[in-house]
Amino acid sequence: MIEALETLVFSLADDELLIGHRHAEWIGLGPILEEDIAFASIAQDETGHAQAYYQLLTDLGLRTPDEYAFRREAQAFRSAHLVELPNFDYDYGLALMRHFLYDAAEQVRLEALRRSSYDPLAGLAERLAREEKYHWMHARAWIQRLGRSTEEAHLRLQSALDQLFPYAWMLFEEMPYEAEMVEAGWLPPSAELRERWLTLIAPILTDAQLTWHEPTPEHLLALQGARRGVRSPYFDALYAEMTEVSASDPDAEW
Amino acid sequence: MYGTLTLRPEDIENWGKKVHEEDPEKLAEFEARIARGEKIEPHDWMPFEYRRQLIRLIEQHAHSEIIGALPEGTWITRAPNFRRKLALMAKVQDEVGHAQLLYSAAETLGKSREQMINDLLSGKSKYSNVFNYPAKTWADTAIIAWLVDAGAIINQTTNSRGSYGPYVRALERICWEESFHLKYGYDSVVYLATGTPKQRAMLQDALNRWWRPIMHFFGPPDTQSVHTETLLKWKIKLATNDEMRQQFLDMYVPKIWELGLTIPDPNLRKNPETGRWEYSDPNWDEFWRVINGDGPCNKERLAVRRFAEEKGRWVREALLSPTARYVTPLA
Amino acid sequence: MASLDPRIARAEPELWNLPQRPLQPLEHWQTYEVFVMRTRGTHAQHVGSLHAPDPEMAMILAKEQYARRSQCVALWVVPTDAILWTNPEDEDLFLPATDKSYREPQGYLHTRERIEQYRDRLKPIQS
Repeated sequence: MIEALETLVFSLADDELLIGHRHAEWIGLGPILEEDIAFASIAQDETGHAQAYYQLLTDLGLRTPDEYAFRREAQAFRSAHLVELPNFDYDYGLALMRHFLYDAAEQVRLEALRRSSYDPLAGLAERLAREEKYHWMHARAWIQRLGRSTEEAHLRLQSALDQLFPYAWMLFEEMPYEAEMVEAGWLPPSAELRERWLTLIAPILTDAQLTWHEPTPEHLLALQGARRGVRSPYFDALYAEMTEVSASDPDAEW
Repeated sequence: MYGTLTLRPEDIENWGKKVHEEDPEKLAEFEARIARGEKIEPHDWMPFEYRRQLIRLIEQHAHSEIIGALPEGTWITRAPNFRRKLALMAKVQDEVGHAQLLYSAAETLGKSREQMINDLLSGKSKYSNVFNYPAKTWADTAIIAWLVDAGAIINQTTNSRGSYGPYVRALERICWEESFHLKYGYDSVVYLATGTPKQRAMLQDALNRWWRPIMHFFGPPDTQSVHTETLLKWKIKLATNDEMRQQFLDMYVPKIWELGLTIPDPNLRKNPETGRWEYSDPNWDEFWRVINGDGPCNKERLAVRRFAEEKGRWVREALLSPTARYVTPLA
Repeated sequence: MASLDPRIARAEPELWNLPQRPLQPLEHWQTYEVFVMRTRGTHAQHVGSLHAPDPEMAMILAKEQYARRSQCVALWVVPTDAILWTNPEDEDLFLPATDKSYREPQGYLHTRERIEQYRDRLKPIQS
């Protein structure tokens, strides 16, 4: 069962760690000071959430959050490829759309995890939901406004949605050991969570005059395996950067 | 009773207005108010020179914060553990936040944020020279967070006794947040100083490189500074550059030495008779060269700010309302 | 030369080749004044201003700029141009011209004295 728990925790924590890392790339570079500040808080929250998820394993006598984050092999990660994607071209439309799709998934995941039979996870999900409430408020507000504003904003958002939607779809890729997790009452099946996610985002995207469609099986095939240890082509560079200092002096305390 | 306060045509006409051309009665009342320790608020009568100097001071401070976010931002993605990564994110976020507070304070005097940013990007307005240097290693961020922030705190604490209400209020909050920066910086330095030989070497190297910019931080020596008298009378400036530099050395040199670090100035010592710190001339030619554009990072700092503004343009324009009109912030 | 900051290095060469256009008036939006109620039972207090495109965004952005650390139970935002303010020339409106102690507690410090005086007047009659 420990492998199942590790898989679940890593799927959650690695997503948070890497999206927090990508969001943090915007600090000081945002489109306007006030938004820079707000987005930096979201980056910190996600990073803190990662630490809290890893701690669930630490509490069982396993490794520390720093060790999980900074000292694992690439294939030990269970992050979705969505969160590994770079901030291409420093396009804030992409950043906001990823934030929207991801935090919608968080709404759905946390809502389900609050009722998890695994008490530490349920308790954590309840606490994290407080911060996620703000993330969701922020994401919705931006997508709603930008979708219906200028031609340029609309085009950028649509293009971002086209690019990111298949990746976001795969946030709900079935995990290894998922049957056991569901049996144990840890959380509902991923496919069911995906349905709830689609129901959540549909009206907002429609209201923002954006369109989307279910990804083709061919497209999804190319994105398979994240939850089994298959990393996107962007992971290595991200992780090398993230661990540059910690790896430079492995015995050091910082 | 009610109105807006933007830069009016007469403000711009009067821009070069000398103090002796101001209404003597109003000027006397104004100066008496300041002498009594009362604050000047945005809608008070004030000499044009006061307004001009304050805008310059607060604007430069705001620019320093937003540019200051960049050397430390260099290491956010490479921070070596959760605690440092989170703290560095929070610290750099605070710098952006301080820029926001300070632009708002300057805006109360009638210059718009857009005008101020344009002046930064065109090179017309300056920012603190210390940020024109590169953060080459992780240890650089520790030195900056400790010693540059220490300098900033001395500056800000001093200025928070100033005469202009909005600036004083902004500084009070900034000082409070800076105290976390200082603790984080010192903690980071101490871990490096008490760590592995490699960490100690990295730290000493960073200190060697940053010492001169830190000595430049409070500005040129008093002998080289002009216009100080009126600024002191109007409580725009509350201590001289050398006074603040002495305070900094007094507070931090012993702490640096306590960690077993060496300071790259063999002449640095506290004179037991005068109680004043003596040091080698920190090469003021370099200071002037760098502040006028010829430093290692000047071009990059401004290029990054221009980049951020340009890339964000479509976002800002998308949400611009046709009924929006500019009103100077209140306080 | 590539930046030392990998985040910036990734923005090159576009970083150096962007067309330059100065910011237009109002490009950074209008301002809103922000009020924070720190704890239940206290007044909401003015804490500063920020730029935002509309009231709801002002609220969302104010939450982080003005309440990410400070204790806060409620947040208010008001467009700056909705506020009326008194001119400094009218500061004298708030100064009274005559003794208004009749409406202050300290205007009534001599009541006890009145009782003592009355008792003193009664003493010769009673003896």
